[in-house]
Amino acid sequence: MATNHSPLSRRGFLAALGSLAASSVFPGTPLAESLIGRETTDGVPLFASAFKLENGDYGVGIVDDLGQILARISLPGRGHGIAVSPDGTRLVAFARRPGTFAVVVRPFDEAEPQVLTADPGRHYYGHGCFSADGRLLYAVENDFDKARGVVGVYDMSGREIRKLGELETNGIGPHDLLLAPDGKTLIVANGGIKTHPDRAREKLNLDTMTPSVAFLDRETGDLLAEHRLSKDLHQLSLRHMALDGQGRAWVGGQFEGPDTETPPLVGIFSRDEVPVLTDIPGKTASGLQNYIGSVTANASGDVIATSAPRGGQTLFWNAASGDFLGAQTIADGCGVAPIDQGSFLISDGNGALSLVTDPEAPAEILARPPGISWDNHMFALT
Amino acid sequence: MRRLILAVLTVFVVHPATATEFNPQIEGMIDGYIRPATEQFAETAARLPAAVTAVCETPDAQSKDGFKTALSETIGAFSKIHFLRYGPLLDEDRLSRLAFLPDPRGITQRQMRKVLAARDKEVHSAADLADKSVAVQGLTALELIAFSKTSEVVLGEDPFTCGYALAISENVAAMAEAVAAGWTDPGGYSAVLLTAGAGNPRFQTSKEALENLFNSLVTGLIIARDQDVLPALGASRAKAKPNRFPFSRSGNSVTFISGELDGIRQALSSLGLEGLTPEDFTWIFGGLDFEFANAQALLDQLERPLRQSFEEEGTYAKVEVLAIALKSIRDTMALELAGALELAGGFNSLDGD
Repeated sequence: MATNHSPLSRRGFLAALGSLAASSVFPGTPLAESLIGRETTDGVPLFASAFKLENGDYGVGIVDDLGQILARISLPGRGHGIAVSPDGTRLVAFARRPGTFAVVVRPFDEAEPQVLTADPGRHYYGHGCFSADGRLLYAVENDFDKARGVVGVYDMSGREIRKLGELETNGIGPHDLLLAPDGKTLIVANGGIKTHPDRAREKLNLDTMTPSVAFLDRETGDLLAEHRLSKDLHQLSLRHMALDGQGRAWVGGQFEGPDTETPPLVGIFSRDEVPVLTDIPGKTASGLQNYIGSVTANASGDVIATSAPRGGQTLFWNAASGDFLGAQTIADGCGVAPIDQGSFLISDGNGALSLVTDPEAPAEILARPPGISWDNHMFALT
Repeated sequence: MRRLILAVLTVFVVHPATATEFNPQIEGMIDGYIRPATEQFAETAARLPAAVTAVCETPDAQSKDGFKTALSETIGAFSKIHFLRYGPLLDEDRLSRLAFLPDPRGITQRQMRKVLAARDKEVHSAADLADKSVAVQGLTALELIAFSKTSEVVLGEDPFTCGYALAISENVAAMAEAVAAGWTDPGGYSAVLLTAGAGNPRFQTSKEALENLFNSLVTGLIIARDQDVLPALGASRAKAKPNRFPFSRSGNSVTFISGELDGIRQALSSLGLEGLTPEDFTWIFGGLDFEFANAQALLDQLERPLRQSFEEEGTYAKVEVLAIALKSIRDTMALELAGALELAGGFNSLDGD
């Protein structure tokens, strides 16, 4: 079935839409039509996000920088994060916790999606990343009977995907992970919250939780460094991350303590330095309900965006100084992806895709495909 | 006496377990709002093809007025249903095909230019048109070919455009008819809303179905403000873009925004939520009536077409206040009323990760 398409060709991508469209939930939609009028389809920035459809179905959508959906891929359940291979040709869409599937999609090839299933005794947490050479996939998983977090290591180079082994995350509830710029270190945000699939999404250890950010040797699994928050912040679950231009991890948290408090929610972590927590201006902080939904850097890594869907706001930060740059109001906005150095695409639960180029000016709603609720995260493919 | 208390308790325990607890409210909106509103849209859209034909046969002042009226009425009726973003309006991608909104980057215009340049005869048949890009099929496309930048009817000057406009109007009429029929059908989406439970793949409980209806009204208010009003206001008066109002080219922006607001108000009222609301919170309904009336009064003061009147003294300020009023209505519904009724809100803010 797979033919010899040039791996990065948008034409190949469009050709593949035929096969994807066949399993699309909206078979009547002329998917490729949205590119009519564009001078070239090559070089168009593309983005991927999980979604829920009004009819209750789940999938992943691929959209362009005008917010037009170019392809839809069905998922067996609700998705969450998406690992994008370094060359941008493969996506791995993970189930939302405590789901056990991950769907591997090669949108530029005429290839059927492959479905990965977590080992017995494991479920995915919703995030993963590739090794720098694209051969290995790392996925955060729950060894739920032992209440320990692991990184599943998968060989993606062959026809069949094989699980090679596991690394300890040295924490409970690992939620997000990144490959550090050195290509050797994995950075894991251990959210600290104990859950068990028998009790759905119930949080079992809020009194004793101790989230951490762990730096692991990706080959040996050795713990190179780990950072925990001070005791008074032990209920700030460290969950989502993005790398800034200096290779530091910006981490967004979700506070499980009393909602009368407004603790810091965003921190900067690097292997050999003491973590720094940023200041959210009081007026903004009080409206966020202590909840950061996703963290993203712009293309050059000098601006960080952290979305706060419960507060309907996305906050922007100067990566170098840690200064708060401003906030943009977007109802139920959560997914954020960089378009380039100067702009972000923000997706929301009401279906809109908004362009933000200036935190001071109103966001520009580019599109609102009917019947779609964009899920927590959006990723740039190129 | 003891027996009576037990009887009351039994009712209390059994009652929340039934999957259809909120069916009266859901039926209230289906029968009291959705069915009449979609029928109204079908009736107005059905008159559109004849109005196009008349202006194309004899493009005089009378036929142009007739066309303007028919289009205004259709857009007005569409504004009252476009926020029902589920079921028949989503089937066959009808909502996008009826009106391609928002379109800040002019995708419709670019695709339209290609259609017109190629003199693509396929756009002369409603059936063939249905296979074209969603952007060139509906009311937003019709407005673009039938009106000048200064909101005058230009339809009738070019036979190719006339054929295309007729196909669009027939396509819109057919979709409007299908939407109304979808809602009339007792086995259609209304049955999905009214048969919540284990066998229903969409709704486990009638509360979920009610939340779906309620949240669509909140989304409608988000669209009215964030998508329909704010882009025209821009970052400042100097950066205002009145052409960004929906249907501004045909002079129907005020009609559209008034219609969506009035539609949301009527739909909310049809749900009959007062009876479910704890007494401490029934003030919310009076507050909402007041806020809806304020917003409507502002809209009534705006001169049409807004594209031309936006420069006039006081207009920008009125629209700014309208945006505040819309935000206030949204907050009252999404925070106060949803809170009082314990209805679950936004997708990402609900139970995120």
